[in-house]
Amino acid sequence: MDKNSSPYFTHLKCRECGRAYPKEAVHVCDFDFGPLEAAYDYDAIRPVLTRTEIQSRPQSMWRYRELLPIDGAPTVGTQVGFTPLVKADRLAQALGVKELYVKNDTVNYPTLSFKDRVVSVALSRAKEMGFKIVACASTGNLANSVAANAASAGLTSYVLIPADLEQGKVLGSLVYGTNVIGIHGPYDQVNRLCSEIAGKYGWGFVNVNLRPYYAEGSKSMGFEIAEQLGWRLPQHTVVPMASGSLLTKICKAYNEFATLGLVEKTPFAMHGAQASGCSPISTAKKKGTDIVKPVPKPQTIAKSLAIGTPADGYYAIHAMNETGGSAEDVNDDEIVEGIRLLASHEGIFAETAGGVTVACAQKLIESGAIPREESIVLCITGNGLKTQEAIIGKCGEARTIKPSLREFEELVREELQATI
Amino acid sequence: MAAEKSRLWLMFPARLITRPIIYELGHKFNVVTNVRQASVTAEVGIVSIELDGERGEIKKSIAWLEELGVKVEPVEINTIEG
Repeated sequence: MDKNSSPYFTHLKCRECGRAYPKEAVHVCDFDFGPLEAAYDYDAIRPVLTRTEIQSRPQSMWRYRELLPIDGAPTVGTQVGFTPLVKADRLAQALGVKELYVKNDTVNYPTLSFKDRVVSVALSRAKEMGFKIVACASTGNLANSVAANAASAGLTSYVLIPADLEQGKVLGSLVYGTNVIGIHGPYDQVNRLCSEIAGKYGWGFVNVNLRPYYAEGSKSMGFEIAEQLGWRLPQHTVVPMASGSLLTKICKAYNEFATLGLVEKTPFAMHGAQASGCSPISTAKKKGTDIVKPVPKPQTIAKSLAIGTPADGYYAIHAMNETGGSAEDVNDDEIVEGIRLLASHEGIFAETAGGVTVACAQKLIESGAIPREESIVLCITGNGLKTQEAIIGKCGEARTIKPSLREFEELVREELQATI
Repeated sequence: MAAEKSRLWLMFPARLITRPIIYELGHKFNVVTNVRQASVTAEVGIVSIELDGERGEIKKSIAWLEELGVKVEPVEINTIEG
């Protein structure tokens, strides 16, 4: 073994057949094309990663670094993570439950979404492997995060986007000095081109050849939830699903903490949330199958979840099944209501994916899939400032008056009387 | 033109499940088909396959599959994320 190699992160392995692969920029098993994921030596980690040790470290996702797939110290995104776990009593009351928390990644550093977690791992690993150019294909949060984190790390970056993407979203990447390339054509063709570019140019493509590293970054959200809850696992965790990766990784995080003895191995259920306009995973789960039927043309305001062929859908369904969880989906109106409910009760403005999570949780509570007396965590993954267009005109209007005290008093008289 | 390998997921809609499309593909185009995984139900067929041949032949194969209504994705599905 290389003397600089981590004794904790040992190798990559195929999630299908379990074959082992070296810690390189590979992501698919040569035999069955199954996805590769990071594997660790938990016996080596156990004596090192104690509660006391973790608590002595800076408050970032890297306080769990032995469980993240890099060899040395992190070099990109060292301040990412450790976002607030908010005890959401007012929202709990509105939903009629006893113990509710919001894992608030709307304030994740630096680009206000959970993508900073995955990107900081992917780029730290990319630097270890000697990549000079990093890239991604994205319609929003991922592009912003790669652009920002690459800029701060001094890496050259390329962001590939569908050519018809809204200007506002393009600007959110351009500002960091990244190279933005718009590609004309339908989704499938853009997808295949990106895959070809990743293979041909030898760039570090965060969600292609760096995917095994990238995906592991999501675990940090699960580690933080368990620690912030006082070293215990919540009985229910509601997670938005695009590819389904986040749900499987939070599940892996809980299991790893239990394996290491950092938390007691108590039952926990993973619940998945999707938008009805693109719900391949929740549809399959509700039907009782693990075969995920692609959605050719997703139509939902929750664009960050609009993935018609979810790579980890199969694994997400298994994670839900194995933990006794369930899946739900909600329409656009319900998503907007979810956003408003969270904002008006907890002061947290989430992007559309957050509305999906809140609204699905509400349905799962009402259906009894989540019992009202048990502990619940909602994973809120991105900031509402990124998807303001989704709620324009749906939150009422400002009332206007002349600069006159009389007019003001007439306007608010009834409201003031009601509060006295 | 150089030979290359392309690793793909094919997704067959219900109406195409009984048709021997991979057999037809191997006869119609000069590509070697190599199935690595398959899952077929009455509703959907999902096959991971490697196509080995000249770039032009692989491109034509993909276009033909898509014209039939088969969804073709690289094994790295979700290259584009939110």
